[in-house]
Amino acid sequence: MIKDITIGQYIPADTPVHNLDPRSKIIITFVFITALFLVNTFFGYIYILAFMGIALGLSKISPKYLFRGLKPLVFIIVLTAILNIFMTEGEIIYKLWKLTITKEGLIQAAFMCIRLVFLITGASLLTLTTSPIALTDGIEKLLNPFKKIGVPAHELAMMMTIALRFIPTLLEETDKIMKAQMARGADFESGNMIARAKAMVPLLVPLFISAFRRADELAMAMEARCYRGGDKRTRMKQLKFEMRDIYASIITIAFGGLIIWSRF
Amino acid sequence: MTNMIKTESVKHEYTSHTGKSIMALNGIDISIEKGEFVAILGHNGSGKSTLAKHFNALLLPNSGTIMVKNIDTKNEEMLWEIRQIAGMVFQNPDNQIVATIVEEDVAFGPENLAVESKEIRKRVDEALKAVDMYEYRKHGPHLLSGGQKQRIAIAGIIAMKPECIILDEPTAMLDPSGRKEVIDTIMKLNQEEGITIVLITHYMDEAVNADRVYVMEDGMLVMDGTPKDVFSQVEKMKSLGLDVPQVTEICHELRKEGIKLPADILTVEEMVVELCRLK
Repeated sequence: MIKDITIGQYIPADTPVHNLDPRSKIIITFVFITALFLVNTFFGYIYILAFMGIALGLSKISPKYLFRGLKPLVFIIVLTAILNIFMTEGEIIYKLWKLTITKEGLIQAAFMCIRLVFLITGASLLTLTTSPIALTDGIEKLLNPFKKIGVPAHELAMMMTIALRFIPTLLEETDKIMKAQMARGADFESGNMIARAKAMVPLLVPLFISAFRRADELAMAMEARCYRGGDKRTRMKQLKFEMRDIYASIITIAFGGLIIWSRF
Repeated sequence: MTNMIKTESVKHEYTSHTGKSIMALNGIDISIEKGEFVAILGHNGSGKSTLAKHFNALLLPNSGTIMVKNIDTKNEEMLWEIRQIAGMVFQNPDNQIVATIVEEDVAFGPENLAVESKEIRKRVDEALKAVDMYEYRKHGPHLLSGGQKQRIAIAGIIAMKPECIILDEPTAMLDPSGRKEVIDTIMKLNQEEGITIVLITHYMDEAVNADRVYVMEDGMLVMDGTPKDVFSQVEKMKSLGLDVPQVTEICHELRKEGIKLPADILTVEEMVVELCRLK
């Protein structure tokens, strides 16, 4: 049950988008998000839609997956819409006691919701087409220049790798402890939120102890394998920019240009 | 024959959480030769794991010296050389795998040694083939069985090109089939690649194939010799709280009943031959 939770929603495939260097993909996603915030007319969204469409088409990811990513965030989108509808001042269309709905509010709400949907789907497209390892590698490489000002690029990437590595292990362990406690009469499912949260405490204590023991053993195993930080390390797989990265950059620059032009 | 690991009156003392000081190792003299397959036996708390951690400088002795290929483990400048020469496999397969993909994990050691990336690729493929896990190279480690995970851990060590592999109870958490996989892999590495093996275990059956067996008790070596020498002393092994291989035990019981069998039978095959010879 609990083991079936997948972390990272990567869908492996062999497409131009999947094969892009993770660094290009991260940068492109950043440009996309920045562009998204620069759009100030509904007309501007056409460019965003076109860009998303191209990326989605090339990645062969079914739009269904993209929209699945929206589900947990529906609450935030709805909240944004409500706040915008009621809080924007302007031409009053409908008045209900103290709440007023304005024409400007409706427009603003639609505008913000489209922005949020694009923001979320854009970010999911990155995680859907990039494996967690490639993503960590990309982040490490991109942060490398900032090492001089004290950003621990390698350490951050290592922490992410180890966290990803141990998520399934710890989930499995949680499942085991839960079952062991359920066998002795523990109840995790009934009661209100507070009662259920309280029932989790006896679960967390052994889990934490075991996590610390694992960390200790892992540190020893890493030391035994000559790990001494990132300075002198080499990598088996080296990231390489290729022609497709250049094409992708050209498209992205053109896209950014169009967005800025659309503002005037 | 050259010495792979040589220790001289090694003592290691630590303070338990109750404040009592405990002698984990109390004067260990051992010398392991290149290419040897050595098994170290002992029950829980006998100090065998502590000794293993001294062999690649994860722990340093309070007194005495340990030489790994004639390098003193106290020499901090040579620390990484020592750990490259003497690789170590631990008990829990889950807690020694670092990466989320099998081949990335095998590459972890050579990456730390700053090996060139093409050479790492070659070593990783060779190491995975040596433990018979090549077709699993793209898998996530959490999807593998315990025996397979332990073989990946061994591959991770082989990729560092060690001359000696120390295995600290590598089979303690595995099921019988996983145990067999691991032991077969170790034997193959010893025989085909000539890698020195130090196997710490409390499964007697795994020690039968060793060239030499050491038995530890209270931080001291109390018995050593060939498996036949050691296991034929059934009463002494029992008094140390250890078992002997099943066949040896049956043989011991039969001898007590007056059946004339040699005392040093370790395997089923030997037993069959000897039983047929009776009458």
